[in-house]
Amino acid sequence: MECLLEQKVDTVFGYPGGAVLNIYDALYEYQDRINHVCTAHEQGAAHAADGYARASGKTGVCIATSGPGATNLVTGIATAYMDSVPMVAITGNVNLNLLGLDSFQEVDITGITMPVTKHNFIVKKIEDLADTIRHAFRIANEGRKGPVLVDIPKDITGAVCEFTPRDVHQPFDEAQERRQHLPVSKPLPKPKETKLEAALELISKSQRPFLYGGGGVIASGCEEEFAAFAEKIDAPVATSLMCQGGYDQSSGRYMGMLGMHGTMTSAQALKNCDLFIAVGTRFSDRVLCNSKLFARHCPIIQIDIDPAEFDKQIDISVKLGGDAKEILQILLDRCQKEEHTEWMAEIAEWKSLYPLHQTPVHPGAVTPQALMETLRSLTDDQDILTTEVGQHQMWAAQFYEFRKPRTFLTSGGLGTMGYGLGAAIGAKYACPEQRVINIAGDGSFHMNCNELSTAAKYNVPIVEIVVNNEVLGMVRQWQKLFYDKRYSSTTMEKPTDYEKLAEAFGVKGYTIRKQEELEPVLREALSQDGPVLVNCVIDKDINVLPMVPAGKSAEEPLLEI
Amino acid sequence: MTQHHDTAERDYILSVLAQNNSGVLLRIAGLFSRRGYNIKSIVAAQTKDEAHSQILIVVRGDDRIVKQVDKQLSKLVEIENVSVLDDREAVVREHLLMKVARTDQNSEQLISIASVFRANILNVTADNIILELTGTPRTLDSFVECYRPYHILKILRTGTMAMEL
Repeated sequence: MECLLEQKVDTVFGYPGGAVLNIYDALYEYQDRINHVCTAHEQGAAHAADGYARASGKTGVCIATSGPGATNLVTGIATAYMDSVPMVAITGNVNLNLLGLDSFQEVDITGITMPVTKHNFIVKKIEDLADTIRHAFRIANEGRKGPVLVDIPKDITGAVCEFTPRDVHQPFDEAQERRQHLPVSKPLPKPKETKLEAALELISKSQRPFLYGGGGVIASGCEEEFAAFAEKIDAPVATSLMCQGGYDQSSGRYMGMLGMHGTMTSAQALKNCDLFIAVGTRFSDRVLCNSKLFARHCPIIQIDIDPAEFDKQIDISVKLGGDAKEILQILLDRCQKEEHTEWMAEIAEWKSLYPLHQTPVHPGAVTPQALMETLRSLTDDQDILTTEVGQHQMWAAQFYEFRKPRTFLTSGGLGTMGYGLGAAIGAKYACPEQRVINIAGDGSFHMNCNELSTAAKYNVPIVEIVVNNEVLGMVRQWQKLFYDKRYSSTTMEKPTDYEKLAEAFGVKGYTIRKQEELEPVLREALSQDGPVLVNCVIDKDINVLPMVPAGKSAEEPLLEI
Repeated sequence: MTQHHDTAERDYILSVLAQNNSGVLLRIAGLFSRRGYNIKSIVAAQTKDEAHSQILIVVRGDDRIVKQVDKQLSKLVEIENVSVLDDREAVVREHLLMKVARTDQNSEQLISIASVFRANILNVTADNIILELTGTPRTLDSFVECYRPYHILKILRTGTMAMEL
């Protein structure tokens, strides 16, 4: 507990159990200083810790008991790992003498989470506990961020030792670390001068630069430098799903997303640019589409804190390893002010030629575009959207105009259905002054709707919007395109009465069926003091477009299917 | 404008300096398996201080893969250094034990091959002979080849060890 306070932890998410009884007993004692939120399921706790971390930029903390408690965290940990979210997961385990004997509720959670954590620990001596927790926080935040798990056998949590307080900024003593078998910190990458010069030369020669931002822009907190850099080199900007909010989308430079569900403008710009500059992004397959056909005609500059991302998917011409904020500051200082009037005019023309637009298939039905735009008109720039995974996630990213970092929390890498509700609860604890809205599909909603009970229990005023088309829309869209409309298991038609379900949990429920109900119902839902659920029935035949089919070039999205 | 990687597959020797903590080998092996890298051999060796272990891994792949392996390994928090050893700038050795069926008729031939390679004869019974040889992997390959015409009963190779010059 003292260690958590030392790390400025004010809120933890978890679920009690036998192996963490001692930890929960301590939480009881520290309840005036550490707020513990007990979720309905450990997965919800992990997503809440993740949402808390993404919304605040601090480290999220979750706690679970041994065995099933620990395995229930795994999806949440993997979600955080794929999106580089700093998190410390604490699990209990059976007593030291029972380890390895298939004891009740025993599982090798360090073995299980090895591929989805930056690092994990099992603490076998009470004297090592405090420093292990400190290292867990250090590792979670150092370089490319990510989750770290600390597994603590029950008798260790029950043991007593002298606690020596330590300033969080005090550097670790390497000799001491080695004695305790704790990992020694490694220097972070710095960009080489020759590489910086090469990048500056490419930038000065370019007539049609393309600036592309990923989640690293938000992780390193370089939104301002990123925007200033776009201005200075006069480049249009596209962002990945993870960078929604990392750039002000109302800017004339903003083209939209790039990749599988990117805009036609981004695709045209990709095809015609003469320099591609990527900041804090790992070139996910969802962006590259066909990696062999991606930006083959022009040089690519990549800025990233993780050198393993260079040349991983595609060959990079100039690699600038290091913190994006520092590197952008250097580039800003040293590059000339550029003007690319013709290129920017071309971008503007594509933007007006290919706007994102949805027309209802069924007259009067609510389109996702209308939902997102109406919602946007009723919310502030600082308000936070979380999502589940599927069509609704893409629609939120496409049609809700994000302007501030840390306002769009979504599972990009792992694509975890069931992420959003827990994340929304976590985000609300991190940012109590901001409204938090979870955009859910009806499919995703059913995965972890149990967390409505958590929102009700603590009266967390979040708005859950179920974008209800009665189908697993994203999968169905693929079935329509590639499986000859054989809609295997994607038609839900679950007879869920959403309003009643919400009320059963103690959450106020609303339903929207027609376009004209959108504004008044959303307005009312957003003005409530407690958690609310809005079942928004949408036009069920709307697809996510544009779309780049598998194997095709990101330069050639389909505008209709 | 793309760079040109050497796409020919060959064996690379990676020398990895890791903190000697429990589970570090598992982390390395897990990384290789989930990223689909091909380990030809792996040797974990003690070093002069017991806080470290030196792990020598032979990876089959092209230039791009070996660079990825290097960088991904370097990200493991307990790994302090990774170097790709060039066999022109390192001594490379491997140890082999081999049991070959022996008869009174072929015994002399078996022994004469061993003496060409300066291999040790560790044990001889009525029907087999156990040989020992330390050398470069290539020497061991040709040593084994020489015995192919005879009946090889068992081969044990330690995997490659290497030390930079």
